[in-house]
Amino acid sequence: MIKKRDQYREIINALPNPGLGLGLRSKHFNYILEHNPAVDWFEVISENFMDSGGRPRHILRQVAERYPLVMHGVSLSIGSTDPLNKEYLGKLKSLAAEVKPLWISDHLCWTGVNSLNTHDLLPVLLNEESLKHICSRIRIAQDFMERPLVFENPSTYLTFKQSTIPEWEFLKYMAEETGCGLLLDVNNVFVSAFNNDFDPVNYINQLPHDRIVQMHIAGHQHCGDYIIDTHDRNVVREVWKLFSQAWQLTGGVATLLEWDSNIPEFDVYHAELLKAKQYMNRMTGYDLDADVQNYLDAAVSNPVDFLVNDFKW
Amino acid sequence: MIESNDISLPQLQNWMQGILVKGRPSADERMTIESVVNQSQRLSALRHLNIYRSSYIARLRACMQNQFVALAYALGAGLFESFADQYLDSYPSESYTLNTLGEKFPAFLEKTRPDASLEQKESWPDFIIELAGFEYRLSEIFDQEAAGDQMVLTPNTPDNLLKLTPVLHLFHHQFPICQYYLDFIQNKEPDLPFPGKTYCAVTRRDYKLGLFVIRGAQYHFLKSMQEGKSVKKSMKYLAKNFEFKIEDLEKIWPEWKSTFIASGFLSV
Ligand SMILES: [Fe+2]
Repeated sequence: MIKKRDQYREIINALPNPGLGLGLRSKHFNYILEHNPAVDWFEVISENFMDSGGRPRHILRQVAERYPLVMHGVSLSIGSTDPLNKEYLGKLKSLAAEVKPLWISDHLCWTGVNSLNTHDLLPVLLNEESLKHICSRIRIAQDFMERPLVFENPSTYLTFKQSTIPEWEFLKYMAEETGCGLLLDVNNVFVSAFNNDFDPVNYINQLPHDRIVQMHIAGHQHCGDYIIDTHDRNVVREVWKLFSQAWQLTGGVATLLEWDSNIPEFDVYHAELLKAKQYMNRMTGYDLDADVQNYLDAAVSNPVDFLVNDFKW
Repeated sequence: MIESNDISLPQLQNWMQGILVKGRPSADERMTIESVVNQSQRLSALRHLNIYRSSYIARLRACMQNQFVALAYALGAGLFESFADQYLDSYPSESYTLNTLGEKFPAFLEKTRPDASLEQKESWPDFIIELAGFEYRLSEIFDQEAAGDQMVLTPNTPDNLLKLTPVLHLFHHQFPICQYYLDFIQNKEPDLPFPGKTYCAVTRRDYKLGLFVIRGAQYHFLKSMQEGKSVKKSMKYLAKNFEFKIEDLEKIWPEWKSTFIASGFLSV
């Protein structure tokens, strides 16, 4: 067990930094294939392609020939008390065999129990019982996939009374115990910190930076009393600041801009990503964009890019 | 009330899921929200939990709306939402993928039709149910596994070489469902149609769907080919079972052939 963990850790340590990436969205399929834009790499939502024998899979094969890919999933449900879904894992593995991603990620969350799926990334209980449970499932999933997995800190909207371990520490133990990698979503840290009264700067300082293989940045919806992780707009200045902090601490890792709803034209999406370059150097000012925040109530968190029925007539 | 440290992990997850999916805890009723969820500076425990509850409903509603765009138009936003909510309440998702969220929706609409207990049936529920079934099938065909979506055919390709393309699906309806769907996606804002037997074919070329309204005779002819019969045998079948004259069929065949080729129904 320890030997495997160490092997996984070594694989994670040796992962490359492909640079600045974008999410592969159906809206941009044609643009990407026609223009071959100068994006370093693409992240694909595994669930949008694993069951498709049609256009999405056909496009993915072509994109995989031209760009490095990372597979990002939302259905592993590593925190659930249901057994791991072997059918899902099997499909994930065969998709990976086809597109050869640099790594495969999912979230520290559960999506449902008793065979139901809420299709949301629900918060895990952060205590020792839960940590043991999750680590044993990560080991099973990694052994099944025959590779280490990478786990992302989700946006959370509540904390449990029973939780006894801070999330950053929980992630650190997870990585130590299983050899898995971490995906640091700095926007999620900001969202969760605001919603649950913790300090995002401290959270990022405390993480095991050598285990972080990737970062996410994204826009969110401020609703006054709370923030919803909507992935539907530009990145706010405070999140860029956290990105800058994390960039220094990690020494720079693969970074991806998530945009899942109100998706703009490709060049707008790409331009927002490239702003990251301004925040890689500690010396640059932070006052590049003054943020205008609209307070709205009708926001829905957006962990998934729905590709359902997207026929493109 | 039970102490928070007496709650097991499965208990906690069942409790939370019950609130998200059903609006009430499905497990231990003695677990109060305040005993499980922390309040924060700005929000009570209940408001924290409600963020998940309202996201759950809104997300799945939006997904149903995406999966049944024409149906949502036909029913109007309010009615569609109420049907979708009832459906999601009765059949919460059991799949890791959202692609199949609406799988049982047509059957659900059939089971819960407002005139279910009446002897005299109204016709609009039939239309709604047919449209729902058709839309769901379209999403399946879109994702269907099939080797190579391309073909090279000309009207000169000999008849004995012709087969149906792997992705060709034939439908018959009690309402002009295909025409309605086509009008809808072309923003023609169709009205609820009158009943009338119709036939259509759905193909996929270059991974894009093609929808074609066809005639009854064409439907039966293609059905026969789908069962593996040749062009010649399918004509004979049509002549024998549907009171067509074989000479008439032979006369019209070149026209059918070029239409079928242009529409991507045939391959070799
Ligand atoms: Fe993320």
